[in-house]
Amino acid sequence: MRVITYFFMNAFNLAPLILIFPLIGVLANGLVGRRFVETDRKTGEVWSGWFGSLMAISSFVIAALLFFSLRSQEFHAEVIYLFDWFNVPSAGFRIPWALQVDTLSVTMMLVVTGVGSLIHIYAIGYMHGDPDFSRFFTYLNLFLFFMLILVTGSSYLMLFVGWEGVGLCSYLLIGFWFDRVDETGHPMNATAGRKAFVANRVGDLAMILAMTLTFWTFGSLEFNTVFQSAVELFEKGHMVEFGLFSASLGSVLTAVTALFLMGAAGKSAQIPLYVWLPDAMAGPTPVSALIHAATMVTSGIYLIVRSNVLFEIVRASGSLILGVISAPDLVAYTGAATALLAGMIAFTQFDIKKVLAYSTVSQLGFMIAAAGMGAYVAAMFHLITHAFFKALLFLSAGSVIHGMEHGHHEIAHGDHHDDGFDPQDMRMMGGLRHKMPTTYVVYMIGALALSGIVPLAGFWSKDELLSHGSDNNFAVYLMLALAAFFTAFYMGRQLKMVFFGEPRHAAAEHAHESAPLMTRPLIVLAALAALGGFLNLPYFTEGMAAANQHKPGGIFLGLEGWLEHSIQSFELTAEGVLHMPHTSVVMSRSVAGLSTLLALAALAWAFYGVYGKKPKTADERDPLQSTPIWWFAILPLNTFYMKGVIPLFNRLAHWLGYALDWDFWHDFVHNRLIRDPFVGFANFAADILDTQGVDGLVNGAGKTVRRLASVIRLSQTGYARNYALSILLGAVALVAYFLLMVN
Amino acid sequence: MPDVTIDWYVALSIILFAIGALGVLLRRNAIIIFMSVEMMLNSANLLFVAFSRHLGDLNGQVLVFFVITVAAAEVAVGLALIVTIFRTKQSINIDEINLLKG
Amino acid sequence: MGNPIVFFILAAIAIAAAMGMLTSRNAVHSALFLVLNFATIAVLYIVLNAPFIGMVQITVYAGAIMVLFLFVIMLLGADKLGGVVGEDKWQRYLAGFLAVALVVVFGIVLAQGGGVDTGTATAIDSSPAALGMRLFEGYVFPFEVTGVLLLTSMIGVVVLGRKKRGKDA
Repeated sequence: MRVITYFFMNAFNLAPLILIFPLIGVLANGLVGRRFVETDRKTGEVWSGWFGSLMAISSFVIAALLFFSLRSQEFHAEVIYLFDWFNVPSAGFRIPWALQVDTLSVTMMLVVTGVGSLIHIYAIGYMHGDPDFSRFFTYLNLFLFFMLILVTGSSYLMLFVGWEGVGLCSYLLIGFWFDRVDETGHPMNATAGRKAFVANRVGDLAMILAMTLTFWTFGSLEFNTVFQSAVELFEKGHMVEFGLFSASLGSVLTAVTALFLMGAAGKSAQIPLYVWLPDAMAGPTPVSALIHAATMVTSGIYLIVRSNVLFEIVRASGSLILGVISAPDLVAYTGAATALLAGMIAFTQFDIKKVLAYSTVSQLGFMIAAAGMGAYVAAMFHLITHAFFKALLFLSAGSVIHGMEHGHHEIAHGDHHDDGFDPQDMRMMGGLRHKMPTTYVVYMIGALALSGIVPLAGFWSKDELLSHGSDNNFAVYLMLALAAFFTAFYMGRQLKMVFFGEPRHAAAEHAHESAPLMTRPLIVLAALAALGGFLNLPYFTEGMAAANQHKPGGIFLGLEGWLEHSIQSFELTAEGVLHMPHTSVVMSRSVAGLSTLLALAALAWAFYGVYGKKPKTADERDPLQSTPIWWFAILPLNTFYMKGVIPLFNRLAHWLGYALDWDFWHDFVHNRLIRDPFVGFANFAADILDTQGVDGLVNGAGKTVRRLASVIRLSQTGYARNYALSILLGAVALVAYFLLMVN
Repeated sequence: MPDVTIDWYVALSIILFAIGALGVLLRRNAIIIFMSVEMMLNSANLLFVAFSRHLGDLNGQVLVFFVITVAAAEVAVGLALIVTIFRTKQSINIDEINLLKG
Repeated sequence: MGNPIVFFILAAIAIAAAMGMLTSRNAVHSALFLVLNFATIAVLYIVLNAPFIGMVQITVYAGAIMVLFLFVIMLLGADKLGGVVGEDKWQRYLAGFLAVALVVVFGIVLAQGGGVDTGTATAIDSSPAALGMRLFEGYVFPFEVTGVLLLTSMIGVVVLGRKKRGKDA
């Protein structure tokens, strides 16, 4: 018993294993997995898939052990040194490779490995029969490895290693089916992967600049050192020297945090870099769930929460960007605007996964906005619950797609006649609740959780950050509340189109429930999505809060009590150094009531209003574009709504979805302004710089050597006599030197 | 009449060595070049023996013994090579053997 | 270290024989001059209290090796390939200059009397028995290696000297 206790209390030495397990999975699946699967399809898939899953589960176990260890030593953070990565003693430059084990990173580890394990298991069923089965699991494990480097790293540089690594895995997995082409023969999946990669590079550039500035200012990239000296320098009113000029610490950190925002915008798909995420849905659905919904896209939020001290110093210093807005406020507004914009774009999508993708962008906007408002715990809370229910939704959508494909297969009787069938198009679905009961139930739970219906996980997390907004930044609060309303609406629309009404395509009539291997992880995730809110319940009344001195206690505010040990701003605010915006720990009834009401109204509106009777066939126009909304008729303002607001709104949503998002943003800004100059420069580099400059240099070096050699080779006559002569010459010279000069 | 010192032997052996080197460098006949090499070896041997006598140390003579043995082996192989070259080129003129020309 | 008169006579003969070898147009004459040179050096060895080495010099060098040379010369009929290097004269001048330089360098050193200790040790026992004892006391391994070397060269000579079948036949 004592052994077990010791094991639980002191798992820090085991921490490196959390990285080693996925690495073993990568090596095993990457080196021998393919041969395994090809030799014997059935057992090979079982071994390859379960081995990869086992490695993910093992990492989860390690993360859980770290969780208990941290609890047993009162949440005291540990930095586990592994080895020196760079060490230049003369320059005072040392980057150790160390693991940061504190409550924040362990939270991320648990989410990443927990949701990751479930998705691994689900993928065994989903990828069944895929020719590249083992490659898929290699990439999944590789992703897990890099993601864990990202969250366990003890310095910005290590974080950046993981940051780049997950970007690479994202690229590999979006383009997993890189040989698939669309009707015009264009390799769309490969293009989508490339787009994600390039969009992320823009954010990465900002990250590199931010790290350079950080290193210049503090002489270190270690989290602990940077934060500590940042606070010290801030209290001293330190000026940072840049050779010709100097700047206050506040303005330097403003630049750093603004660059962090840019980096986070790339990774977490915020305005203006969100465009890659909807395209990323080209990857297999487990990938969309794991990388593009639950984990990788949250690394931007992790970065901001991890750097909370820097953001709060900027807030406290009052430095503004161009004298207009402070960096944390910029973060908040960026997040809120993204939440709103992406929420509206989701209205116009017909692809089941694209709706979820824009929804993800929107929800990430919520988290970013929360982090920008200083509600770091709320951001992390929403990150966790979102990981649960968005992974659930994506995996369920995968189950739906799987079922539709099987249905299509059945009616096609094996022969491939292409009738423009798209298993992801919601217009082809309908009435699936009878065909796929399990999927229907879990999808329902996920959708309601996302919409913020009491008492599912999304309600609590969204409510916490909304009430924080209403206390501290009313404009952001309004935008987020509206975005929450949109969220409920598009989820209602999706539920209705997919699961209710009559089947609109033969494939939907023949759809099947998926295998238990796929549905069981869904049930686990559904349970998490339903109960995840209890991680951080607010106090329901003033009295309960007062009884606990407004501190976390009992079942209330568990996450806050856990995370406040990693978010130094709490402590620094208590000491009076920083001024972190404060939020009441008591649930705000008006905010909660209003948001629930709005969510219910939006769901009902979508369900019975806009999509009440329609669409009945697959070709029918989306009723959103031609809406006789019946319940407006009972209002006196009927005509106003009918002729004014509704068409205007419809047009706005449509315009946002197609004209702004697609034509302007994707085509004009990204293709014209970014891609074309980039391609032009790449061509210039390849054709002019490389062929003439670099090649010229290389060839010139070769020619010079050749000319020199043709001179020197004249001495190589081939006559032994000449060689003997040179030997004698040397001998005489040496003898003369030693005998005459040395004495 | 002066005593014969080690210097005299050094001078003699250097002269013989120089003549041998000249033979190697100036003659065209491979066999004569070879003989010149033998003479250079001999001048070194002479010096060994002279110093052995001069220092009262027998090791010099042992070294000469080894040099003679190795020289014998070398001559055997060298002459065999010359014979082989003559078979292929029908000549032992060193000027016609320049395959190493760069 | 011997009688000066004997030394001068022997040195004169050795140098003259060497010059003769160098300048003879006939390879056979060169070989015979070399035999004379080896023989005088053998006498010098005996003068220098190294009778065993002197005898080896006569039997191995003047005897075996030179006979081998003569055989090869006659076998190949290469006796008349005389003369010195043709075209590039600079090479001859450079070679001559280097030879002279070598002698001059040593001449300067000897004239200065530098470097070399002129003290003379007493004659030591250098009988074949003493030499053999020294050889087997301190040089067993080199001795064995030399044996292997001789064997190797013997095999090499056999391989090289053999006529290649199918080529010459």
